[in-house]
Amino acid sequence: MTAQSLHPRVRVVWILRAALVAALVSLPFAAAAYLGYAPRWSAVAAGGVALVVGVAHAVLKYRRWSYEIREDALYLDRGVITQVRTTVPLVRIQHVDSRRGPVERAVGLASCVVYTAGSRGADVQIPGLTPSGASDLREELKRLAIRADGEDAV
Amino acid sequence: MRLAPQSIPYRALQKVSGFVVVAFFVVNSNDWGLPLAVGVAGAMLLAAFGYETAYYRRFDYELTADTLDIASGVISRREREIPYRRIQNVDVSQSVIQRAIGIAAVDLETAGGSSTEGSIRFVSPTEATRIRREVQRRKSGAGGESGTGSDTDDPATAGASGGSAAAETELFAISPKELALVGALSFDGRLIGLLAFLSSGSFPVLSGFLPDADAAALTATALVAVGGLFLVSWVLGAGVAFSNYYGFRLSRAGDELRYERGLFRRYSGSIPTEKVQTLTITDNPAKRALGYASLAIETAGYAPGQNGDQGSQSAVPIAAADRVYGLAREVESFGDPSFERPPKRIRWRYAFRYALAVAVFTGIAFAIDWYLAADLPRFGPLVLLLAVPPAAHLKWTHRGYWLGEDHLLTRNGFWSRTVTVVPYYRVQNVIDSRTVFQRRWGVATIVADTAGSGSLTGNEAAAVDIAVDEAVTLREALRERLHEAVSARRRQRSGFEWVEGDRGGEAPEAGDGTPDDDAGATARSAATTDAVTEADASRDGETDSDADAATVEANAEEPPDDGVIRPDFAGSDRDYSEPAERVDTGDYAVDRFPSDADVAHRNEGDDGDIARDAASADHAGGVSGAGSGGSDSDDSDDDDDSAGSDGDGGDDHG
Repeated sequence: MTAQSLHPRVRVVWILRAALVAALVSLPFAAAAYLGYAPRWSAVAAGGVALVVGVAHAVLKYRRWSYEIREDALYLDRGVITQVRTTVPLVRIQHVDSRRGPVERAVGLASCVVYTAGSRGADVQIPGLTPSGASDLREELKRLAIRADGEDAV
Repeated sequence: MRLAPQSIPYRALQKVSGFVVVAFFVVNSNDWGLPLAVGVAGAMLLAAFGYETAYYRRFDYELTADTLDIASGVISRREREIPYRRIQNVDVSQSVIQRAIGIAAVDLETAGGSSTEGSIRFVSPTEATRIRREVQRRKSGAGGESGTGSDTDDPATAGASGGSAAAETELFAISPKELALVGALSFDGRLIGLLAFLSSGSFPVLSGFLPDADAAALTATALVAVGGLFLVSWVLGAGVAFSNYYGFRLSRAGDELRYERGLFRRYSGSIPTEKVQTLTITDNPAKRALGYASLAIETAGYAPGQNGDQGSQSAVPIAAADRVYGLAREVESFGDPSFERPPKRIRWRYAFRYALAVAVFTGIAFAIDWYLAADLPRFGPLVLLLAVPPAAHLKWTHRGYWLGEDHLLTRNGFWSRTVTVVPYYRVQNVIDSRTVFQRRWGVATIVADTAGSGSLTGNEAAAVDIAVDEAVTLREALRERLHEAVSARRRQRSGFEWVEGDRGGEAPEAGDGTPDDDAGATARSAATTDAVTEADASRDGETDSDADAATVEANAEEPPDDGVIRPDFAGSDRDYSEPAERVDTGDYAVDRFPSDADVAHRNEGDDGDIARDAASADHAGGVSGAGSGGSDSDDSDDDDDSAGSDGDGGDDHG
């Protein structure tokens, strides 16, 4: 398998999340404006800046994200500000989830979570998959993990 | 098995004594009178006694052949079975009161869950020891070749696994001098933190008084206060450390480590060496100057923050550095490390970082001066700039990693230098992260994540700030060595070379080529995965029953987790209880007895006899048939049936 990128629609999920964060950021400014401590435009400006940053981050994050299943490990490459490359040996996979949150369901996407016994185990989440893609990936990883026949080493 | 009966009053008092005292005083002070207060307190105590009696009656534990079963719970009942093989450590503790009334708490940790999985409170100390030893004995019985776990197997294993005191070799016992050092070098910073937190709010209030007082007197008072605070913290830390590590002893019995320690509260327990995840050797400048270090042994047993106060249960608090390394090698033989440092240019990064910190500090000092209008030296903190280059250099010097034969060692920190030893086999995943600033300097951080509890508290094995190309090599090397370690384990575990060659061999071999020709390996893996997905697709295309069969087959590849090694027959769905069907191979028929079920029980003579018998019988039948057919050919009309059948037989034979 060559490096896979995520479904383009995952950007919608991330942009919606960025919009939520922007709303939260602008909330104190709005409150201050309401109470007369700050000019009215400050809330709009703060929200706008947060939104622009969030959207840019979402777009860059999508461009950066890739995953790949090689013969003995799952590779993930992601992160905008801190680039993180994770290697998950297939022999170490404990269990695999596919999950769909409310926003993901709304845009018709799903994600796949790979657990290891490591202390950062639940970190390995692959978002932006189609529902069938997520369950295929889950089955594929399950099959490969069984074939790899490892012990959990704990 | 039941708990110790003394545990009923102890547990009851432990639970409600605080409430009872509070209730007593509240009721007493509300003018309701002493009798009512006594009554309320008595009722609470009685309720607690009742509950604990029920708890005692409900609590039942049993050491079965391969699990420890605990049934407990008064209102919501729970039955729990813990396989011995999954138990990480067994800890026994006794406080002063518990020692006085003769009870002990037993805690069994597994890697799962967020709290202690098997908590038996309380049993008698001898029973606690018995549980510990039985768990150990049965675990080695379940894991090893003697699956029966019978008591009198043979004297050697019974001695080793029975955990008698004779088989125990002492690895380390703390000497009074070392104990004094532990106390002296322990410093409990929590009090200072608490006071700083409390005083931070009151600073503006205090500042109102500041200008009135004499500056010199003020500084003197501050100095004395700070000094006193440090002294108190130090004494507290020393006391805690002293009582924690009093009488520390670490010993090895067969394949497990045992520890005991504690002055007021006694701790003892065991850790199987096969469960050790990482070793952590820590020291600080004071310890380094005196030539001492500490060692912590980590398993996957403890949940985060579970025993933060007591530290790692099985840590060697202090010992001469070479002895600590000797002990560590006793547990994990990692050889003699020579650390690879990050590139030298990275010192500039640290210098820059420290300079920035000094600048921020100066800014704060400036702001305070301005706010208080005090006449303190504003640019005093800038003196710290002098310390920046040596600090950066020291930070760089104490960083490093080393790839050993079977272990990855990483080293970090100057003030609290930590050397982490990670066996390749324990690596769970490898994380390569690069922040914006790290990318500027062309460096990366590689973290080898394990299931140990240390990595939860930040003591993870991290090779920090190594050059990017080196990081990629390290990452790949770790992945590869993990696979080598896993296949080595598998070989060791199975002991069947042919099983190994049959299925385990292919993946690591393919992995070997990866770093050399990455593109080639990727292409190959792409090809294999494509093939695999195609195969899957074709399977999916078939009927449901076929898909089920495929799943069953895939599941069957996983060896049952009971320690028993079975040969792998999962590749075919042949029923081995039936003889194999004969396949027409023309002249190339090699195996006359393809049913290999009885090959082992057949000797040469039998073979020949059977073959000869079969042949002669066949031949006789054929001859007689032919003979009868030939001789009776004249009056063949009379017995049509027999002639026909005989003729057939003759033809066939001929």
